[in-house]
Amino acid sequence: MKKLLFLSIFTSIIWAENPHEHMHHSHEGHLHEQLVDGKKLEVDPVRFDKFVMGLENSQIAVVNVQGMVCDFCARGIEKTFKKDKNVKKIDVDLSKGKVLIAYNNNQEIKFDDIKEKILINGQNAIDMTVLDL
Amino acid sequence: MGITLKILIVTLFFNAVEARPISYSGGHTIMHFNDNMKESLYYHYSPSYKYSFGIENLNDKVFSKSDSYLRFTYLLNRKNKKESQRNLYFQSAFSPNDSNNFYGIHGDWETRRLFVGFGYKKIENIIDYDDKFIQLGIAPYLGKYGDFHTWLMVKTKKNSLNKKQTTYPVVKFFKGNVLLELGYDKKTDWDIHLMYRF
Repeated sequence: MKKLLFLSIFTSIIWAENPHEHMHHSHEGHLHEQLVDGKKLEVDPVRFDKFVMGLENSQIAVVNVQGMVCDFCARGIEKTFKKDKNVKKIDVDLSKGKVLIAYNNNQEIKFDDIKEKILINGQNAIDMTVLDL
Repeated sequence: MGITLKILIVTLFFNAVEARPISYSGGHTIMHFNDNMKESLYYHYSPSYKYSFGIENLNDKVFSKSDSYLRFTYLLNRKNKKESQRNLYFQSAFSPNDSNNFYGIHGDWETRRLFVGFGYKKIENIIDYDDKFIQLGIAPYLGKYGDFHTWLMVKTKKNSLNKKQTTYPVVKFFKGNVLLELGYDKKTDWDIHLMYRF
């Protein structure tokens, strides 16, 4: 049985891959890591581009979240936002501690609402930047 | 001897099911635990991230009997940081059919790379006793959300009933809604813990 345990560990490693702001930003199909005011956005550019692919007339809320340490945290947040009809798409990046939420351009994005949704899952949203596509 | 063995079984059972005591809001969790002496099934629901309640059923392979428990867990304190989370829980169980109850605390601190957990509980039974454990873990690689995750852990536990301390390796696999935890000790043999959250 010990051999089975070691085999399981080995196999799993082999399988493995290795303050509230509202800012309008011209995206033009790629991510500028630095916004016009000099602030760094700190999102994964590849992940961001994949997220916005196919999205039109949208705005993206980039939310910094504290306490996201595992997939269960991410899953709870994802489930909550998917229930919101105004949300077009959501992505949780655990490594950066970011949640990307896509809304229609005409939708008013309220940080307090996002903060509340994240809080009911046990994490804390600390700030938000909104990008227009 | 029979009473001691029975209490020992209950102790081991409680050790197994206390991982991840509360889900996200609206989350349901089913846990299954099995070893050479017992098999148990535990379901809990979390109306809020602050508490969960549930029911569990224990099939005792030694005495060929089963019992049910009502469980309640409350988050006493949580501290979220950019790369970590720290929790302190109150846990309790009550058996309507028997006099077996327990209450205690369970704490953990976790990053995506490291894990530290501990627990202390007082078990009220025919003989009252306490039980404690410490668990340390490291993730050998950092997977993205949705990837296959692995934790390598070591757990040490002791209870005042048999006064023996055991330390043994635990490996945890995790993907999507499913978690599998395997622990092995020469004295207590295999702990197998399967969890599904939805």
